[in-house]
Amino acid sequence: MPGPRKKKRAQGEVELNLAAMLDMAFQLLAFFILTFKPAPVEGDVVLRMPPPMPTTILKNAEALGSNEKNTNPVQGLTSLVITVVGDDSGTMKMLAVGDTTVGGLEDLDRKLKSVLGDQGTGFDQVLIQVSANLNYEELMQVIDVCTRQKLAEGQRLSKLSFVQLPGG
Amino acid sequence: MAGSMSSDDRAEPNLTPILDMVFQLITFFMLVINFKTATLDMTLRLPVVGSVRPVETKGHDLLVLNIDKGGGLRVFGNQIENIPAYIALEAQASLLAAKRFNPELKAGDDLPSMVIIRADRKTPFRYLNAVILACQQNGFRSFSLKAMNRKEER
Repeated sequence: MPGPRKKKRAQGEVELNLAAMLDMAFQLLAFFILTFKPAPVEGDVVLRMPPPMPTTILKNAEALGSNEKNTNPVQGLTSLVITVVGDDSGTMKMLAVGDTTVGGLEDLDRKLKSVLGDQGTGFDQVLIQVSANLNYEELMQVIDVCTRQKLAEGQRLSKLSFVQLPGG
Repeated sequence: MAGSMSSDDRAEPNLTPILDMVFQLITFFMLVINFKTATLDMTLRLPVVGSVRPVETKGHDLLVLNIDKGGGLRVFGNQIENIPAYIALEAQASLLAAKRFNPELKAGDDLPSMVIIRADRKTPFRYLNAVILACQQNGFRSFSLKAMNRKEER
């Protein structure tokens, strides 16, 4: 049997005290405003960098003079060597592909296009020899030119290695 | 003489709209907050390379290394004194993390983590090379070199 019903009060409205919630919300807001630091938009040069290895893989090569029919005893050369030398201030003063000196980054671009795009050469990675004092910014310009190149098979060049030249 | 204020005369502002607005602001800041910036040393002046573009690195295990022009390595704002030891430790952690997905992975194998190098534009190559060699000796193969796009230069 139900008990006696309580009479509903006319002024029975429940009013939430929002001030406490507002205080907490303002504290959270202050935290987020103070810790907010917009991240700069930075670019990436993504590279696959194996440790520097000898530039000739001799699996296809034969010793000079061992086979009279072999006119290319260094077949198997897969790394193209680029040399970058800096002056005392770290600015680039000499740039060479193999043993050929190139005039600048545009020359380097042209040279790499002709060498790496040639299917006969078989290069699939670039080994960059860098003098110890060369600035990172100068090196990045060379890396940028290298990573824009396409190999003979059509894929982008992404295998690079660095070697420090003695001295400096 | 003024009489005492009765309870009916009290002005109670309606706090609901201000609370709504504050919650909207909180939501906005929660969505845009990026704790990754804590790993970046904002004092470094990155090199400017015209053709670089941001690359999506979500899903990769990242190791962010900030190298200043004196060759100092800073991680989460702390100067690392022994760079090879620190990188070896990070390689161990990376190996443990990678083993969860590939249990056959062992010490000496190529690590799937990506090393992000943020170096000052005036850093001599010898300092950069020392860090890269230490990473390579510990199995890191995947690298990302950070640079600013010309338009984005600070």
